Amino acid sequence: MVFAMMLFVIGATIAQRSVTGTVTGQDGEPLIGASVLLKGTTVGTITDFDGNYELEVPEGPQTLVISYTGFTTVELEASSGTLDVVLQEGVTLTEAVVTALGIEREKKSLGYAVQEVGGEALTMVRDQNVVSSLTGKVAGVQVISASGASIGGSAKIRIRGANGLYGGEPLFVVDGTPISNSNFSAGYRGVDYGNLASDINPDDIENVSVLKGPAATAIYGNRGANGVILITTKKGGKRNGIGVTVNSSVTSENVYILPEYQNEYAGGYTQSYISAVDPVDGKTYNVLNYAADESWGPRMDGSLYRPWWSWFAGDDYGKQIPLTSNPDNVRNFFETGVTYNNSVSLSGGNENTTFRLSFTNVTQTGVIPNSKLGRNNLSLNASTKLTDKLTASANINVARTDALGRPTFGYNGNNAVMSFNQWFQRQLDMDRLRDYKNPDGTFRSWNIRSATNLRPLYWDSPFFSVYENYPTDSRDRYYGNISLSYEIVEGLTAAAFFRRDSYSQRIETRTATGGLDQDGYGETVINGVEDNYEFIAQYNKNFGDFTLDANFGANIRVNDYRSNSMSTVGGLNAPNLFNIKASIDRPSVSSFMSEKVVRSLYGGATLGYKSFAYLGFTVRNDWSSALPIDNNSYLYPSVTGSFVFSELMNSGVLSFGKLRASFAQVGSDIGAYNTNFTYGAGTPFGNFPSFGLPNTLINQDLKPALSSSYEGGVELKFFNNKIGIDFTAYRTDAVDQIITIAVPGSSGFSSAIINAGKIRSEGLELALTATVVETSDMSWDLTLNGARNNSQVLELADGLTNQRLDSWGWGGLSINAPVGGEWGTFRGRGFSTYECNGCAQEGEKIITEAGRYVWENNKELGGVLPDLTGGLRSMFSYKGLTLGAFLEFQVGGQFHSVTRMFNAYSGLGLETVGTNDKGNPIRDEVAAGGGVKVEGVLADGTPHTAYVDAQTYFSNNLFALNENWIYDASYLKLRELSLGYSIPKRVLGDLPIQNASISLIARNLWLIHANVDGIDPSEISPGSNGYVFQENGILPGVRSIGLNLKVGF
Amino acid sequence: MKNIFKVGVLSVAMLSAVGCGDFGDINIDPNNTTSVAPETLLTSSLRSVASVVGRTDEMFYTQMWSQTQYTDGSRYVTVNYDFNGWYTGPLADLNHIIEINSNEDTKADALVSGSNENQIAVAKIMKAFFFHFMTDRWGPLPYSQALQGRTNLKPSYDDQETIYLDLIKELKEAVAMMGGASVKGDFILGGNMAHWAKFANSIRATIAMRMSNVNPSLAQTEFVDAVGDGVITTADENVMYPYQADANNQNPWFAAFITRTDFAISETLVDYMKPLNDPRLNVYADPAPLYGDVRGMPYGIENAGDIPNDEISFPGFPAVRGQDAPIAVFTGAQMHFLLAEAALKGWVSGDAQAFYEGGIAESMKQWGVYDDAAFADFIAQDGVAWDASKGMELIGYQKWVALYLQGAESWAEWRRTGYPVLTPAPDPLNADGQIPRRHGYPTSERDINSDNYASAVQMLGGPDELSTRLWWDN
Repeated sequence: MVFAMMLFVIGATIAQRSVTGTVTGQDGEPLIGASVLLKGTTVGTITDFDGNYELEVPEGPQTLVISYTGFTTVELEASSGTLDVVLQEGVTLTEAVVTALGIEREKKSLGYAVQEVGGEALTMVRDQNVVSSLTGKVAGVQVISASGASIGGSAKIRIRGANGLYGGEPLFVVDGTPISNSNFSAGYRGVDYGNLASDINPDDIENVSVLKGPAATAIYGNRGANGVILITTKKGGKRNGIGVTVNSSVTSENVYILPEYQNEYAGGYTQSYISAVDPVDGKTYNVLNYAADESWGPRMDGSLYRPWWSWFAGDDYGKQIPLTSNPDNVRNFFETGVTYNNSVSLSGGNENTTFRLSFTNVTQTGVIPNSKLGRNNLSLNASTKLTDKLTASANINVARTDALGRPTFGYNGNNAVMSFNQWFQRQLDMDRLRDYKNPDGTFRSWNIRSATNLRPLYWDSPFFSVYENYPTDSRDRYYGNISLSYEIVEGLTAAAFFRRDSYSQRIETRTATGGLDQDGYGETVINGVEDNYEFIAQYNKNFGDFTLDANFGANIRVNDYRSNSMSTVGGLNAPNLFNIKASIDRPSVSSFMSEKVVRSLYGGATLGYKSFAYLGFTVRNDWSSALPIDNNSYLYPSVTGSFVFSELMNSGVLSFGKLRASFAQVGSDIGAYNTNFTYGAGTPFGNFPSFGLPNTLINQDLKPALSSSYEGGVELKFFNNKIGIDFTAYRTDAVDQIITIAVPGSSGFSSAIINAGKIRSEGLELALTATVVETSDMSWDLTLNGARNNSQVLELADGLTNQRLDSWGWGGLSINAPVGGEWGTFRGRGFSTYECNGCAQEGEKIITEAGRYVWENNKELGGVLPDLTGGLRSMFSYKGLTLGAFLEFQVGGQFHSVTRMFNAYSGLGLETVGTNDKGNPIRDEVAAGGGVKVEGVLADGTPHTAYVDAQTYFSNNLFALNENWIYDASYLKLRELSLGYSIPKRVLGDLPIQNASISLIARNLWLIHANVDGIDPSEISPGSNGYVFQENGILPGVRSIGLNLKVGF
Repeated sequence: MKNIFKVGVLSVAMLSAVGCGDFGDINIDPNNTTSVAPETLLTSSLRSVASVVGRTDEMFYTQMWSQTQYTDGSRYVTVNYDFNGWYTGPLADLNHIIEINSNEDTKADALVSGSNENQIAVAKIMKAFFFHFMTDRWGPLPYSQALQGRTNLKPSYDDQETIYLDLIKELKEAVAMMGGASVKGDFILGGNMAHWAKFANSIRATIAMRMSNVNPSLAQTEFVDAVGDGVITTADENVMYPYQADANNQNPWFAAFITRTDFAISETLVDYMKPLNDPRLNVYADPAPLYGDVRGMPYGIENAGDIPNDEISFPGFPAVRGQDAPIAVFTGAQMHFLLAEAALKGWVSGDAQAFYEGGIAESMKQWGVYDDAAFADFIAQDGVAWDASKGMELIGYQKWVALYLQGAESWAEWRRTGYPVLTPAPDPLNADGQIPRRHGYPTSERDINSDNYASAVQMLGGPDELSTRLWWDN
């Protein structure tokens, strides 16, 4: 658009007064080439290298329109004299975008959809994880984040549904350097150590552009099969002196969502008290069944009883208290988390050298006691012209993360929250649990075996878990590149890069001596290094009406991965000696290394005609060390075209219109060491070593295989760009992938690696932008994006009708890729329903005489992929005030909730109390008119009603009945809100401050709508498991509210 | 132009550096080996015996143990059980032992682990051991077409009779071919080939007896033949899985009770043993703290948590759940009861009563509680004393007691003989509410081996459910 306008920026002839000024960004850096236009005319100019402009304007009231790519447009009354303008960065779709390999291209020449998000939009509410900050901001990008209780927890990203049998994560590229987004967290239950892309400092990000489908694969090959997240970091620019930006924020985090608990019945398996004789006074007391970790016990009616702690020696021994409810006991466990985020950046430059140096420190304490995390980021971007033609650049990023007590998630004994929601006694007083140590140093728990046997049965005190069994971890990360670029002749540049991404992650886990579990210690160290040696030549030239952009490149990629893992076996030989040498038995140790090399040659060219028609192609050949030598070379092409038809029209309504189409193929390879047979080492028996045949049948005939993707789209802008529509339709056929399929174990192998399958993902993406208000004082911009996707399994291997992707839990619940069905289909135990060709009872649940549901195993129970995802962003500004809001939504998709299942099973949930249709408490005996009313039909179709004992109903009828616990994951959430104020320059006066802004920020503010109670469907699955089909011990959602201060010097 | 030439040269240089598919040895896995001594495969296979003797479900079925809190397993909740692990684990490794000891290219190298013949013999015996355990759970199985790797990725099933006949043939072949240097890597029988022969014959006798209802003549022939070739009859010849005082190879019940108390001796077994003052009861289980003697846990009830831990008896320490307490794979007591039954049937000469009482004696010896006088009193009392008119019942009950912890064998013999007489769990979760008579096939078979699965269900002669009876169970 800027380019289009510039065509009309021709010197004006009627000039009667002069307006001058400087256009800068919020950080005080001059904006070079910003457009300054007299409103309603073609009179205008652009700013020079120092951001200065001078414009002659006619006498009388005039309005200047100042605009700059990536910034919000400002209109100002053109008084005479000096008029300095500060432009705000925005997320408006920019005209020049960074494409693969860091090549900046005119957006209109691209034949595929590319959507950018500016750094400001990512950091508005100070989300620490770049992945979760992308949530809802790009059409077709689905992000599943961990709860904020998992400090530094994982965020998973899924672009355009499933792009292959196993789904998978996109490739992350920072300033051209591919970086790892591996995840060494537990899959379903354990500790979440975060995804590795969270090492990226959001404050360093200039913008993020998301490549999907053909755009991603054309250049990045199969590594881009799940999309590419291209991150461009901030660079220094030419300016006077050194620009200093300081940003400080503090946010407080609080739990905002918990399941609804019942507060009527205490712990136990029956409503009658148990009696126990106190050996000290010989008297008999009413006690609860402490060993029970369920709440089917006596009514909390104030009767006196001996609580668990009254059996421990000390002042409280022998005390009786009334049995009353503790509605906030779970909430009282949590603390208020605090996150401090401080960053400072220096930037500067002259004609020859530019640099930007930044440092960020994040210090965080979580809502779960004894959890904290610190991260330091250091980043340097520097570029210098060694000669007129030779430029050297370096981009170096260093990150160090240290964490203590990262919370355990999922169905795991160390997850205190899982106990509260699934296995607990409702009457427990959290403050009593807080004293988890006896005076003699031994530990105490509520879950004692009996009044006289104080050893816990299933649970330590939740505070024991977090204060004694805590993990620690640290990660050193550095990545970046150094490069030399040489301009051979005008338009022809050659550059060489060395890129490296290196991480070293250390994880230490401990189980303390004296708790329920055998004490132990484990240590894992993982080192990953990826080096890329890259050469690229670029050629740009205009030939009359034609333009040519061509490039040719070569790359050598070397991946080196090593891990060492060890853990004690049989306990520790000295209390709490957390060291491998303390292992009582031979410790479990293993080391692993792998190396892989991929060599590539690629090239491409885009031919443009009169700036409105473009045709491009790319071709790439890879050689992979992981493939059999006879089949290790593979070539794949792409073709793109775009046609800016608005250039041929002259419409007052349509200001821009473009059609685009693209096609790409991609070749795939495989991880190292999958083509040669080896034996696997087993656990020795004493001194007898043990080896076995591998369970996966390796394949020496593997070949790289091509799959294809197609995409078409239209981009329209109306009313002088005030309204924009960007629409995309795509199809990706992942064909003949190298996949590991399950084979009948009776073959001697459980799986085989083969070339097979066809997964088709099709979808639509829409991005709408609207400038609702645009005056000199006020602006209001809306951005809406939404996407539909459908991923179908068309073929698997010959004769294979279903591939089970994963399974976990009770009732045989699994997630599948069935041929002819949707990728991510649930199968598990469901209600058996009556079938009778449309009679009155058709579809009724079949129940037994006693009211038990009849099961059907392996029933299809819906799918994991959402129907629609997206977000709405609103940016409103009035003078110095800005109000930013971001709403995120998902329609469809399902998940299974173990929390809800056991919340009911154990009598903790609100649904396990109340009255039935007879007006009696459902927990009363059925004979006394209680019980849960169950309606259905008997096996022969006869309608039947039964009252079922509440405990039997929730603990037996519904347990492992997967269908009952699968929920719609739809939600609408006000995810981000920011109210900011830019302090006017006149207030700052003579202070050496260029600009200053303060804002109130809030994250996860309001879950407006969800179809499941007590669980935030947008945060169901932390950890590394990418299928995200269930939660089995969710950590509660966390709301974050705070203050951000930004000052530029 | 000169510059463009430079770029061209550079490009060609890059091409030659890059454009080459030769990566040398990069893709050779440095973490694993391509060459191991065959004995390490045997060790690995033998470690899998722990997955047979360490199972609970079958012990629930014959009500030796009850679950204390989460009682679903003892109420028959699981229909489909996975057999894949035995194929991909021990059976594939044992098959590989046979291959490398048969193949002309590798058999000489394999001699480091014993004579080719002995290695093949032991591998065949162990294959028969695992397949017998498996077919008695599922019935028809992939057998003759199994373990062929890429050659047959969808193995078809053989019916149980075919499998039984082949197991007998394999066991005979194994014993016949023994000779030369004994095998290494054998931590169960220490490479004692004579002991292996007895073990093989004992399995064969068991298999033969198992088909006594459906093919009595062959059953008799093979039983008599196997016994004649020498079987395990005394406790000191028992085949025991030797656990170690080392968490890497420890007794599974020791491991299970480090933190939890999920299993207790069942009321059914205690109610039988206690009135008889069976000295084994006090090693089978610990006294209940509240009472000071062994108390059984009611079997298969819904609200089991109402019964406090203090009122029930957990498996005995250390005899059952000491860290290095062994678990029986095959015992002399077991053989004695088979012989008693054979004598009753007139298959073998000898006195059924002597075999029966010998079985009790060997069992008591196995558990370290044998005493001449006490034994004499024990076998003299009503309910134990031999009475040929109810010989099968006496044998069945005492065999049940003797097979404590050997759940799979106990379940199979209950199905065959009907002893002990058991009442199903009062709160069953399976369709017909009866004690299972087989296990359902793994659900993966329906998905990925569909056609063969369908024909297996045909062979089964009933639905793929817990209630369908196997070939020999008719």
